[in-house]
Amino acid sequence: MSVLFIHSHYGIDELLFQRHAEAGRVRLVRERNLDASHFAAASGLITTQHLDQVGLMQHAGSLRALLARGGRWIFNGHMARVLIPGLSVYVAMSNPRRADFALTRLADHPIFDGIDQQKLEEDMGVAGFYGRGHNPMPSDATAINGVGPRRLPVDWDWALPGGGRILSHAGNDFWHSGDDDALKQVLADRALAWVAGELGR
Amino acid sequence: MSILAVHPGASYHIESLEAPRYAGCFDRLVRPEDLPQVVLEDFSVVLIPCRTPADRMLEHAGRLRAYLDAGGTVIATGESDSGIFLPAINFTPQPTNFWWWLTPGADLGVRIAAPEHALFRRLEARDLAWHLHGWFDPPPGAEVLAVNESGNPILYIDEVSTAGRMVVTSLDPFYHHGSYFMPAATRFLDGFLPWMREELDAA
Repeated sequence: MSVLFIHSHYGIDELLFQRHAEAGRVRLVRERNLDASHFAAASGLITTQHLDQVGLMQHAGSLRALLARGGRWIFNGHMARVLIPGLSVYVAMSNPRRADFALTRLADHPIFDGIDQQKLEEDMGVAGFYGRGHNPMPSDATAINGVGPRRLPVDWDWALPGGGRILSHAGNDFWHSGDDDALKQVLADRALAWVAGELGR
Repeated sequence: MSILAVHPGASYHIESLEAPRYAGCFDRLVRPEDLPQVVLEDFSVVLIPCRTPADRMLEHAGRLRAYLDAGGTVIATGESDSGIFLPAINFTPQPTNFWWWLTPGADLGVRIAAPEHALFRRLEARDLAWHLHGWFDPPPGAEVLAVNESGNPILYIDEVSTAGRMVVTSLDPFYHHGSYFMPAATRFLDGFLPWMREELDAA
């Protein structure tokens, strides 16, 4: 089994995952071609900020089954549909300023271990790509990174009561953050390893 | 008549198309995959928002062309590779300088090319200035409404390539408004969508 990567945005190759795809560790599937067999054959799931959430609702049963058998899911972006019971829709900041985009590590996590979170705050001097709000966290989830002075949980990790894990990142795909290409690759490598169950057992 | 908007389902589409701010601007939302179940000719306008995956629209290219040939209006905003599913679109991408505004006094270079056009009773040049993604080479006879820093078209109306009308732009306001990330994109929609309703739906 391999990790399923739902490839939503047309015309953009997911280059950071290319060598892993060639090695058979992750399978990139164009969203229009997605069907239940892709979920059934997957050990975990990666979705991007461009995910068709309306369409994924049609696969909710397959998604729940994937999690129930211990699968992990990295969700990037704003939750606009409640795809799994316990999740909530995104809450945006109101008129954020630069200080509201400051990032703070709140808990250790193998994906972010040893990484200076401040290196992910800006792209070419512009802040806000990493997160401008949060997907509300289930009460028994663990906040990983906070954003702004209130340290809103922009990243969190939730072990579902019925099995499986969800790592939510409420912003642009986190492996594209910052200006350090090597760091972006590290984040993508670790993200895949975490979803595959090789990190953070 | 009325407005049909294609709804590809990303969070920014959901926010832009379903949230109260603009929901009243659209009479019906349709998934790309459900377009065959809709009679396009029942609508004055078919709007295809930014970042609609082109491979989810490709199979509908013939249907869109027939709608245009019957006199329909299609609006296509940026980053959707619209040339794959709409006729006569020649697009050249350009690097996106999203940090331009960090320089004090900087000017992205967007200019209104047809200030007498009704759209610009509702929009100023600053309402079109967030990012540039590329420019078009419209057919002779098309009406260019706005240009980039080099004078190349980024927003135009083509009433010559088909019997209908195509409003085409490389600006991506639905993506940025729906991502809560660009006040200018919201201002653009605040002017553009009422113009669409009043000028294109009523026409």
